[in-house]
Amino acid sequence: MPHVNMLDVGGLRAGYDKLEVLHDVDLRVGEGRLLAVIGANGAGKTTLLRAVSGLIRPTAGRVVLDGRELTGLPPERIAAAGLAHVPENRLVFPSLSVADNLALGGWTRRRTGKGAARRSYILELFPRLAGRLKQPAGTLSGGEQQMVAIGRGLMAEPAVLVLDEPSLGLAPRLVGEIFAALGQLKAEHRLAIVLVEQNARAAFRVADEVVVLDRGRVVTTGTPEDLAADDRVHAAYLGGGYPTAPT
Amino acid sequence: MADLLQLLLAGASVGAVYALTALGFVAVYTVSQVVNLAQGEFAALAGLVAISAVGGGLPLPAVVVLAVGTVVIVAAVMQRLTIAPVKRMTTLLSIILTLGVSTTLKAAMLLIWGAEGRGLTPFGGHDLTVAGVSVQAQQLWILGVTAVVAVAVGWFYERTLAGKALRACAEQPTAARLVGISIARASLLSFVIAGLLGAVAGVLASPIYFSAWDSGLALGLKGFVAATLGGLTSVRGAIAGGLVLGVLESLVAGYVDSGLRDAVAFVVLIAVLVIRPGGVLRQRAAAGI
Repeated sequence: MPHVNMLDVGGLRAGYDKLEVLHDVDLRVGEGRLLAVIGANGAGKTTLLRAVSGLIRPTAGRVVLDGRELTGLPPERIAAAGLAHVPENRLVFPSLSVADNLALGGWTRRRTGKGAARRSYILELFPRLAGRLKQPAGTLSGGEQQMVAIGRGLMAEPAVLVLDEPSLGLAPRLVGEIFAALGQLKAEHRLAIVLVEQNARAAFRVADEVVVLDRGRVVTTGTPEDLAADDRVHAAYLGGGYPTAPT
Repeated sequence: MADLLQLLLAGASVGAVYALTALGFVAVYTVSQVVNLAQGEFAALAGLVAISAVGGGLPLPAVVVLAVGTVVIVAAVMQRLTIAPVKRMTTLLSIILTLGVSTTLKAAMLLIWGAEGRGLTPFGGHDLTVAGVSVQAQQLWILGVTAVVAVAVGWFYERTLAGKALRACAEQPTAARLVGISIARASLLSFVIAGLLGAVAGVLASPIYFSAWDSGLALGLKGFVAATLGGLTSVRGAIAGGLVLGVLESLVAGYVDSGLRDAVAFVVLIAVLVIRPGGVLRQRAAAGI
């Protein structure tokens, strides 16, 4: 591939206490590329993102961001290094206004003086938020909260954006708006994006590459076209039926 | 009528000290779910340091800086040594740890200053009588400084990015870490704020209510009750809780029996825990500092 790998994850193992959830996971994302990670509930998708962003400490393997090894660092250092994790269930700061949520997103870049420019870019990306800047984020709809969570991540001017189920529980129209914004971010901003999704159909439409995770391992990887043509992937994640047991 | 006003004034003045103590509890609890039982000791220590500093001939501003500075350092060291190393803090664990610190501080104060309680010299100004109510200058100092501090604390949490970052840690610690806020530093800052508030309370209160090695016990308990009244996570709630508790105590002592003064806090605590465990002012869901 012609582009640099912004995020390079290799041999990653992680879990909770004695229970290993991820077994030897590799993935790579280049600048301006979107990698979708799909898989059933319990496949380890959320654990993967938590291990990448430092919320849990990997037990083995490496996380390298733009050539810099970040494995085992706490999340605040990984955020400062340029990785923004938009967590599952959005986790906006509910009593703080939308403007304050965005301002705190820029915490690691608070001394650069470029917060206002970043904020206006985010408001162009998500025009719905412009009229709600003073509203407590907890009072917004789910879709708008997701936009706040993504905007908050972008305020740190990340090189890599990782998102955990941004479509969860949202109306199809809002899912469309959010995925369109992701497309714009990778095209205009050259962001490297990792998108974890249950909604494989929506993810396939924006992804450059897809990784299928099953019980903590990468089972298949390829372009959305390749995978959509794969009968097992199609049956399991795109068709709604259950996969036949692999032989 | 003058009786009532007199009691209200006395209640508001002691209530302001409770409010500052309650704010200290809230500052720490919101960030790390730690109930800091040494909060009262912060005030006692500040009072005693101030009394010694006045005895050493320092002018009042220097006395205040020294007392507040000492307590802030003690609070920061306490956080680093007892709170920071704990991987999974629970409220129960925090009570055990801070009770240990509280006992240690009391023992140290007893060794250094002895058992006798003393009062700081009042800050100055003339006592006066307004409409039959006698007003001590120190009461005005207490009310005035508390008002300024309360506004400053509210401004800090609502207008500054650092204050908002502390609220973010309280509301969504995971998301706070993901935007790059260090929970460890936030917890340290919350202890510094608690130390500052406790010290201001201790120095202000000392001329009227005296300072002794064990005076933090009652103050800490009442500050905790005041904070609980406000839901333990609300700045406004803590201030209101402190004033309500102080006035209630004063009215009970004045109209019923002065021996019942200290019982008021406990009756209030039990009532709150039974009727509104979330605090009287608390809204649902959001931790509205």
